Amino acid sequence: MISLLRNQKVRNALLQLLYVGSLAALVLAGVVIARRNLAEQGISSGFDFLYKSTGWDVNFSLLPATANDPYWWFFLIGIINTLFLGTVGLILATIVGTIVGLARTSSNELAQLLGRTYVDIFRNIPLILQVFFWYALITHLPTPRAAHEAWGFLLTSRGLYIPIPNVGAVAMALAILAVIAAIALPVWLGRTSRLSRPVGERSTIQLAGAAVALVFAVLILMSGRLPDAPLLDFPALQGLNLRGGLRIPPEFSALAIAIAIYGGSYIAEIVRGGFKSVGKGQMEAALSLGLSPWRVFTLVRLPLALRAMLPILANQYVWLMKATTMGIAVGFTDFFMIVALAINHSGQTLEAIGILMAGFLAINLSLAAIFNRINKAIALKGNQLRG
Amino acid sequence: MEVVVAPPAPGKLEDLKRRFFATPLQALLSLISLAIMVFLAWKLLNWAVFSAVFTVTGGPEACQAAAGACWSVIAARWRIILFGLYPFEEQWRSALACLTVVVMTVLSCIPAFWTGRRIAIVWGAGTGLFYVLMKGGLLGLPYVGEEAWGGLALTLFIFVTTCLIGFPLAICLALMRRSELPWISRTTGLIIDGVRSLPLISILFTFAIVLPFALPQWMAGDKLYRVILGSALFFSAYQAEIVRGGMQGVPAGQEEAAMALGMSYWQRIGRIVLPQAMRNALPATINQFVISFKETSLVVIVGFFEILASGNAAYGTGEWRFAYVEVYAFIAFIYFIFVFSLSRYGAFLERRMAVGER
Amino acid sequence: MNSGDSSKSGGPALRIENVDKNYGTFQALRKVNLSVERGERIVVCGPSGSGKSTMIRCINRLEQHNGGKITVLGTELNDDVANIDGIRREVGMVFQHFNLFPHMTVLENLTIAPMIVRKVPRAEAEATARRYLDKVRIPEQAMKFPGQLSGGQQQRVAIARALCMQPQIMLFDEPTSALDPEMIAEVLDVMVTLASEGMTMICVTHEMGFARKVADRVVFMDAGEIVEEAPPEEFFTASRNERTRQFLSQVLGH
Repeated sequence: MISLLRNQKVRNALLQLLYVGSLAALVLAGVVIARRNLAEQGISSGFDFLYKSTGWDVNFSLLPATANDPYWWFFLIGIINTLFLGTVGLILATIVGTIVGLARTSSNELAQLLGRTYVDIFRNIPLILQVFFWYALITHLPTPRAAHEAWGFLLTSRGLYIPIPNVGAVAMALAILAVIAAIALPVWLGRTSRLSRPVGERSTIQLAGAAVALVFAVLILMSGRLPDAPLLDFPALQGLNLRGGLRIPPEFSALAIAIAIYGGSYIAEIVRGGFKSVGKGQMEAALSLGLSPWRVFTLVRLPLALRAMLPILANQYVWLMKATTMGIAVGFTDFFMIVALAINHSGQTLEAIGILMAGFLAINLSLAAIFNRINKAIALKGNQLRG
Repeated sequence: MEVVVAPPAPGKLEDLKRRFFATPLQALLSLISLAIMVFLAWKLLNWAVFSAVFTVTGGPEACQAAAGACWSVIAARWRIILFGLYPFEEQWRSALACLTVVVMTVLSCIPAFWTGRRIAIVWGAGTGLFYVLMKGGLLGLPYVGEEAWGGLALTLFIFVTTCLIGFPLAICLALMRRSELPWISRTTGLIIDGVRSLPLISILFTFAIVLPFALPQWMAGDKLYRVILGSALFFSAYQAEIVRGGMQGVPAGQEEAAMALGMSYWQRIGRIVLPQAMRNALPATINQFVISFKETSLVVIVGFFEILASGNAAYGTGEWRFAYVEVYAFIAFIYFIFVFSLSRYGAFLERRMAVGER
Repeated sequence: MNSGDSSKSGGPALRIENVDKNYGTFQALRKVNLSVERGERIVVCGPSGSGKSTMIRCINRLEQHNGGKITVLGTELNDDVANIDGIRREVGMVFQHFNLFPHMTVLENLTIAPMIVRKVPRAEAEATARRYLDKVRIPEQAMKFPGQLSGGQQQRVAIARALCMQPQIMLFDEPTSALDPEMIAEVLDVMVTLASEGMTMICVTHEMGFARKVADRVVFMDAGEIVEEAPPEEFFTASRNERTRQFLSQVLGH
């Protein structure tokens, strides 16, 4: 008979029990203590508070918000703000990153140097410092009275004012959808197998598709026009303040600019890595087939580089989405700031933290799911030799 | 000596033409790049050097009137940026402590120190020295509590302790995640993935502000150390995956051979697997240190007076209100020196290892 | 070992009784029986995937058997961790891919296990290591790293490393099949010397010349079973089994 503690199976079982058990005990103890501490302050646990009105306001929201709205509505606003800022930042960062990354991969040494300087500078300065910098810069702009003006755009310490068409909200949303369709339609038309015309010769169809969608957008805007108003609503000075137009608050612009610049420096490196991973052999093969350099780029180099980039890019996008939490540094009401405010005002600490974790988990998982689908769709099939 | 017969040297002009103006497109690209570079360089130099004010004598007024940068704000306020609210007469200690961290980092970059024991000694001793210098109360140094620490010294303290706690924790997490015992590996995986899916700010916030609710009074401790714990946890979740990646690069046969020689689990891990895994993971590890150093700046959000906050304070009050660009540029420059040199070193190592593998 | 007395006295070096091993639904070993006396030299052969490697990896518990009983030097291999540790100390193993530790010099490879497992002082461990390096005929390579040696040299270092633990049984898992042909002989020479000194050896190998020369018994495995077990003359000339004859014709035929 061997003693129990020397038995491998008994040992393993004990170890696992000890580990999981002590972790569970730790969490449980924390929750119990927290509930008691909160109860002493007169805060009852539970999610009832979600239906109470907040009594405070948010400074940025895409949805209508007042201090009478309940907590759950504010949390939703927070998530939408985070997604909105994240998406804008992500698109801008991708544009910046692509340009800089292409400069770094170009054969021109001057462009390379320029791209490299950009990456070296902006990658090595913390994002939050850049956020502070842009925020300080924008809030130190002239007051509305002395605003910088160009083509109806106004640059002031209260934010950027841009003219917007005088149309109803529904028509505006539909028009935006139509514009997105105008971009997506040519892409779809170029790849679908439902058309009889071969893939390479569809430029007229693609153009027509885009034009139709754009015409639709214009028609929607015309029909949704508010009565008795000029076509465009220009911001203008009224008293001490500006009226009209759309105001982009400094908090939002500072974050979007900082994320675009900082994220762009990371994406530039991903883009460069993607292009570097494309083997010389494949490009030589394409050139030897007599394809023009442009065709080699669009048909061989870009598609292959894109496949190499995508998984890393997906990680970077998740990171950028999380970076929106820096909103709290300048007072942009992103999801995290709303949670922090909710904890401050309601005291429902545990519940709010739970909601925060669940929210970010959901955002991360859905982003990951989207990118996995794209990745699967374009992944090279089989074990192809690379490089 | 080998005599290399040089090809007939092309004229300077021809060389220039070949490199930058080979095709019209190339020429255009070169010209645009050159224009951007010259424009930016001129603007920057003009602002930062030619039209800048460097002396404090004129005071803020003279400075504000100037067209260029007002470096006098740095001359006037550098102590608050670097040392925060640390007592004025004792600030040499803070400076010495920062120097300790620099020396420690440089030592860690020398391959002779790349054994578990030596690195642990360097970091343990360095951090100890840092702590004694900053806190005092020993060797005739007056006592200075953590609440008075600030500026660069606080940033470095948070970074160093984060790594010091986070690194061993990362190794533990990595080992548990690859454990053969399903409950241990799954639970650890859940913790790692959970922490990784959260933004660092939310973790810092939870540790700084929420955790005291969930702890008995006697365990809550100082806010600074709770935040360091949170930041270490975050660091370790990322570093654990890097270590695990390094372990996956060690062939299974290595551990089997060690097993066949009768080595125990800890002997196998400590002598055979980890040394090889850490070598594989080195470039990624340095990258993680770089990221982590940049992320220490986030503690400003939970109310610490680290270098960013002290910078805000340096221009935020009174007469230097206009000089924010100069202050941020100064702080950015400090970060840049640390981060850039570390990441260059990482890139150098990566290249050297890539060559070594051939 | 908890039954240390029997390990020193007589009794077989190794006894495998009715051992089963499966990976999921795949059965790698079925009811395997094998007994090895002290000082005996066994060669195990068979087609790939026949379970020979699995069998010898079960002997020092690199794989865990699912059924039956394995007794090594009088100690049963079961869930008792002390037994596992004890058996691994007494059983040396040489792998197909050498598995030398690439971050250590040859000398460190040889001394690490004696020093940390058997707690031998450094000087003594190094003296032993140098003696075995002499024996495998590469004394001059002690301070080199494994990556700087040829495959044959690496495998000889691996043999020396196993011997430094002073094992009572040596397991060889296809020690020559990852080697270039011109290096096989140098490794086999070392193994022949070892065999002539009375080491208990169990070798999985396809080197039939080696089997003929040193084996006391040849064991043929197929599909997880021991099909035939015979002294080499009988095995090579008068095999009774159809599968064995087919295998031999494939190995020797060319």
